[in-house]
Amino acid sequence: MSKSGFSRRDFIRQSALASASLMVPRFLQAFPGVISTENPRGKILVMIQLAGGNDGLNSLVPWENDLYYKSRPDIALKKDKLICANAELAFNNSLRGLADLFENGSVSIINNVGYPDPNRSHFRSMDIWQSASNPSQYLNTGWVGRALDAQSESRDVKPFAAIEIDDSLTLALKGEKIKGLAFNNPKTLMPAYSNPVIRKVANDFSTHTEVHEHQQVEYLHRTLVDTRLSTEYLMEKSKVYKSAQLYPQHAFGKKMKIIAELINSGCSTMVYYVSLPGFDTHVLQKITQNNLLQVYADTLKAFCGELKSADRFRDVCVLTFSEFGRRVAQNKGNGTDHGTANNVYIVSGAIKKPGILNAAPDLSDLDEGDLKYRVDFRSVYSTLLNNWLGVDVSKVISGGKFEDLGFV
Amino acid sequence: MQSNILHIQHLFLRAGFGLTPPELEKVKDVPVKKLAENLFDTSVSYSGLNHLSNPIKGKEDEVSNFRILKMILKSRKQMEELNSAWLDKMARAKAVLREKMTFFWHNHFSTSTPFAWLMQEQNNTLRSNALGTFRELLHAVSKDPAMILYLNNQQNKKAAPNENFAREVMELFTLGEGNEYTEKDIKEAARAFTGWTVNRRGEFEIEGNHHDWEQKEIFGKKGNFNGNDVIDLLLEKKQTARYVVGKIYREFVNENIHKSRVEELALQFYDSGYDISRLMKSIFTSDWFYEDENIGCRIISPVEMLVRYKKWFDVSFEQEKQQLALQKVLGQVLFFPPNVAGWKGGQAWIDSASLMLRLNIPRVILKGAELDVNAKPDFEDVPDKEAKRKGMVIKSNWKPLLAFLKKKKDGKLSDQLLEHCIQCPGYRINKKIIEDVAVEGNEDENITTTLAAVMSLPEFQLI
Repeated sequence: MSKSGFSRRDFIRQSALASASLMVPRFLQAFPGVISTENPRGKILVMIQLAGGNDGLNSLVPWENDLYYKSRPDIALKKDKLICANAELAFNNSLRGLADLFENGSVSIINNVGYPDPNRSHFRSMDIWQSASNPSQYLNTGWVGRALDAQSESRDVKPFAAIEIDDSLTLALKGEKIKGLAFNNPKTLMPAYSNPVIRKVANDFSTHTEVHEHQQVEYLHRTLVDTRLSTEYLMEKSKVYKSAQLYPQHAFGKKMKIIAELINSGCSTMVYYVSLPGFDTHVLQKITQNNLLQVYADTLKAFCGELKSADRFRDVCVLTFSEFGRRVAQNKGNGTDHGTANNVYIVSGAIKKPGILNAAPDLSDLDEGDLKYRVDFRSVYSTLLNNWLGVDVSKVISGGKFEDLGFV
Repeated sequence: MQSNILHIQHLFLRAGFGLTPPELEKVKDVPVKKLAENLFDTSVSYSGLNHLSNPIKGKEDEVSNFRILKMILKSRKQMEELNSAWLDKMARAKAVLREKMTFFWHNHFSTSTPFAWLMQEQNNTLRSNALGTFRELLHAVSKDPAMILYLNNQQNKKAAPNENFAREVMELFTLGEGNEYTEKDIKEAARAFTGWTVNRRGEFEIEGNHHDWEQKEIFGKKGNFNGNDVIDLLLEKKQTARYVVGKIYREFVNENIHKSRVEELALQFYDSGYDISRLMKSIFTSDWFYEDENIGCRIISPVEMLVRYKKWFDVSFEQEKQQLALQKVLGQVLFFPPNVAGWKGGQAWIDSASLMLRLNIPRVILKGAELDVNAKPDFEDVPDKEAKRKGMVIKSNWKPLLAFLKKKKDGKLSDQLLEHCIQCPGYRINKKIIEDVAVEGNEDENITTTLAAVMSLPEFQLI
């Protein structure tokens, strides 16, 4: 279409809009300061995905409930080894770091979070959590990605607005227009710098002032240039602050340390995403889960301590979730199988409702052995979008209005 | 008028996995539409994917739970093998169009199960029907064991119907979301599919006692419908032809739909009794297929990209699971679509990380360097405490290509390679960037370096 007749280029040339912003070389346009790439509210969301399906009942234990001990004769945690959260629930001893933050009023816990018609496939359930779809709907974009799309209507959103510490980008951070940036380590951020051809192509394209008439060429080059800008920005930023905290010797610890350094360096990233895998505890659950929860909670404590030292804890909210909880009854392998509703942890220096926000799971009212969900996971997102990030929820999540949980 | 080479490469990139320079040389003077006709002849005879043998074969006894569990445990490794076997087949098969269509149907009838053998069976069902009629294909897929398990139809019983298959057959396989069906149609259709299940030997079976034999009302028609009747009712609707042709057009021609053209093709498709070969022939022998706006407008998918490298450089990996890991990082693992809606494709393939990886792969192949990327662990994995990063080494063989290019000098090397590799010529590629990498005095190195540079251009991602 664009090759003959009235091309997109002509349109832009003639457009009144073209004169000002589009004549600035695109390389410069994208620099912070020329057009704002700042995180508008300065509030940061860190998402921790406990991949594999964390057993919420052995994380936050219904310690006064006989049904819990009856359902789990071999894997129930003993009362004297738990840390009291309230009359109904107590923390797994491995979650000491989280319990300390809870004690200080920096944690909100929401029980029984899930969605209707629960899906017990890891893939599909994670798909639903990341895309924030209805269980019967297939979305190709993630909820954070759509939040970036919504923001791009009023500001210049670059990939580094949402960062995942990994080699590949998860669905949650993919929007239609804007997609987040995935990298494993800022030091080896992108190999682009060692490939002269790619560097030259990016340079070359940056000097053009017009939109390319070939839609896909434009998209690929724009992504390349945005990647380069994001890379340069982050390489610069990551030099500012060096971590002073000790993190657990674990890939997750390293990743959270990178995030703390970027936040304390004043990086204008709005969302960070990190995954801690290994929670699919079908056999011999106790050792595996306790070790992972220990890594999680110790890391979280170091992370929050680091933020506090730079007075950033009040600008950061950490959301921890899993694709599903596990069945109430243990299985024959001293493990648990895929379940449904689960607890979600919110950690922040700006928590408005510290504590446990709703009733503990009702073990006497199960759906074929599984917990019934009471809180739709999208109300957690909706609360974060509206109260924390300042994004219009209706542009991100469809399917009705979700309750404001008020934790931030 | 663009060169015949561009058009031939266009045809083969869409109807197959592209041509290497020596392959292109052989056919470069043949009229492109003649080559298009030939593609159908070369896809008549073919072989299936025969990597795994039937784990139940020869065993007449009842298949125990233990045996089934053992099959699931073995399946992961087998899926890795099956994945590699199909990629190799795509790169080597003579019946390229049939392989490409099989790949298309794999995405259309998106399925994933923990039984490698059933996935191979389904793959062969898709392949044998790939160029036949959509009618037979749809009937076969509806009785396909892997599909039944994937969409839980084994749980669809008269006493408690499961609507999953009935919903997806309308929403994703035939009519398209929200088109010409109601929630009530889904409910009634689900009743017609009750009792369609898979027995313990992994075979399709109808359990009469779980089938609902009563009257149903679907699309305003009443009858004692069964699953076959529902499929026929769906095929009676022109919307099915429209939806399938629209999807084929987006995949094989241009993601921007040309409405009147698709409507015309859909009516032909419907009138031909859903003849897939005829439809594809109409597309590949049309004039509009070779118009500039339809060339080089698709972002190549990760699988097509890997097959292309296999064809050019005989790329292989030290371990099959590395090949899978690379597919995973790039966002497309054969036999593991993300969900029943399949891979979205197009710009969804590209984000910062995946683009940088794509652009760097040619150089990694050229240098035999280690590719330092790690896939996300599987949900079932319990990773090591200190998850070790392991790079992957891509092995390749440049010799045949080098020998050919040395013998066949056709003007300037960079121009020649650009012509073979880039499907959107005339756009503002800065040729100087390519010319700058030239290596004086070493012909081999000059060719490989120049080719790697051409393949590092973002435009190489467009087919």
